[in-house]
Amino acid sequence: MFLMRFTERAYVDYSEEDVRQSFRSAVRLTFPNAHFNPSLGADLYNTYLDEYEYSEEVGFDGLMLNEHHNTPTCMGAAMNLEAAILARTTKRAKIVLLGNPLPIFDNPLRLAEELAEIDMISRGRLVSGFVRGTGIESWATNTNPVYNRERFEEAHDLIIKTWTTPGPWRWEGKHYQFRVVNPFERPLQQPHPPVWIPGIGSPETLIWCAQHHYPYIYLETDPQVTLDLTAIYTEAAKRVGYEPGPQNFGYLVRVHVQDTDEKAYEVGKGFLIGNAGVGRVPLPGDFMAPPGYNSREGAKRIVDQYRRYSLRPDPLYGGVDSAGWEKVVESNRVIVGNPDTVVRKLREVLSVVRPGILGVWTNDGTIGHEDTMRCLALMEHDVLPAVREMGKELGLPGPFEHAP
Amino acid sequence: MPEHAEHTIEVGGATIHYLKGGRGKPLVMLHGAEGSLGWRQYHEQLAESFTVYAPTCPGFGQSERPPWLESFTDLTRFSLWLLDALELSQVTLAGHFIGGWLAAEMAVMSPRTFEHLILIDAAGIQPRDGEIADVFLHGQEGTRQLAYFDPQQVAEYAELFQHKPSKEERDIQTRNQETLVRYCWKPYMFSPSLPGLLGRVQLPTLIIWGQDDRIVPLECSALYQHALPNARVEIIPQCGNCPPLEKPTECVRLIRNFLV
Repeated sequence: MFLMRFTERAYVDYSEEDVRQSFRSAVRLTFPNAHFNPSLGADLYNTYLDEYEYSEEVGFDGLMLNEHHNTPTCMGAAMNLEAAILARTTKRAKIVLLGNPLPIFDNPLRLAEELAEIDMISRGRLVSGFVRGTGIESWATNTNPVYNRERFEEAHDLIIKTWTTPGPWRWEGKHYQFRVVNPFERPLQQPHPPVWIPGIGSPETLIWCAQHHYPYIYLETDPQVTLDLTAIYTEAAKRVGYEPGPQNFGYLVRVHVQDTDEKAYEVGKGFLIGNAGVGRVPLPGDFMAPPGYNSREGAKRIVDQYRRYSLRPDPLYGGVDSAGWEKVVESNRVIVGNPDTVVRKLREVLSVVRPGILGVWTNDGTIGHEDTMRCLALMEHDVLPAVREMGKELGLPGPFEHAP
Repeated sequence: MPEHAEHTIEVGGATIHYLKGGRGKPLVMLHGAEGSLGWRQYHEQLAESFTVYAPTCPGFGQSERPPWLESFTDLTRFSLWLLDALELSQVTLAGHFIGGWLAAEMAVMSPRTFEHLILIDAAGIQPRDGEIADVFLHGQEGTRQLAYFDPQQVAEYAELFQHKPSKEERDIQTRNQETLVRYCWKPYMFSPSLPGLLGRVQLPTLIIWGQDDRIVPLECSALYQHALPNARVEIIPQCGNCPPLEKPTECVRLIRNFLV
């Protein structure tokens, strides 16, 4: 079992009214950056880096970062910079980037260079995840969403070839063309840093991951939906000749521990304004998925799958509001409690989903630094060792124990 | 009342749908960003004097898009093939919004194919002062709110937009939006070279603009007139981006006066 810690590094110093007054009442994309206070931003970036460094101390195997643009819900607009800092200030934990949104980069070679540097500075601790990005990333960078998947796949192929094929050579693709591909600095890990792919279950991405033997990290999907999605991956893996195991799957879930169930239940409510933003004002659907961003088949499949269950995977889409915090906690979509409660609930989830990688989303929204540090401290002795044992007992090897 | 019918034709390996009706000299009317909205009152009125061809551009509605056709330039070439396949030459070419832009590009590419050019609230030229409203960012509903000076004066508004779309209609709307994004995402709704290229288009041209167009600024009518050697502008007051729907009688009167 590979245990990694995550937070979206939220900025929450704004009001619901501020969100409602933005263009199309959106907390992402068009929410005016006049609401950002760089002094507070400076404090928050440093606090969040401190928390990541402490996460290594308490025993996490990985420090997971993500990237979003034009949003207060995630301050990781330039995730690779945070990764580069952690590469230098931490010593043991993997630096897990989930991930760089490939389609929005016009120069994937620059990305290959940045990631190679991070891999070398960290002495081979980089896990280089790639994502398509939400629709917001396409809007924010003016990347045509119709070509999102094509650009994702081509940029991926170009980066992997850049890392693995001695240069110089030439690339003449549909979306990218380079005369002389020959970045001098190559990654330390050979043939290249591990690639993991996070997502909420686009069938095309699951199949593509299975074909590439890349672990797929479910981003807090409904456990029952997750089983359906795993079946898509498994079927595709079998078609290319292998049987995937827990090492091929990861699961990200919000987990907040406090000394008592009551305190965790109260503090955990801070998650609710995490990636949905203060006020939880629903985002316009076409901001998250502009026309052409999803294949029509993929979009329909996602909707159909989640319609079958009462809770959707992400509070962003209104699931938490309609279900209520109590039901969310009851159904283990967000896990809060004292260490014993959290370990028990994690067993319920891990027994069903069976991931070899567990992403522990410890804090977000209004969950403050003090509560976060207490949560991490409690995890050191009272949660992480138990989850590791549980992983062994349930037969859930991570991708560093068993090659995907 | 002139009859009209839906037809299909094979062009460049794709099946293209078009409506045809009326009598008289041919007039090709290219649709706007919402795709074909069917045979409307303005088609009907035009069909009294002209044989109206209203094709559905590839990728919109039921018209297929060849997989290689991905840019506005390719759309322009393909649309000329379509006229060729329909054996149309020396025709009047008219278009609204992106259809107007397409008409202008077609006239640049093959000026001798046409006898007259009619541009209605056409995209295609970058405004100097304002901006072409971002219909993608506004979304479908927001764009419709911007598109009309007063929806109350759009006789066909309820029929077109105020019923719950069927699954087939929703699928077509999704397809239309995807196609629009494919052709028009960046640069958004204009071609930097178009004003320069229009200088060689000697066709008699009528530029019709809704005075209150909140999508393509009125200044673009003057920019088109400035770029085209033989163009005149007609402004329709109290009208938004879509004169054919909002002021069909006035719009058709201007076209008829120009051509007849």
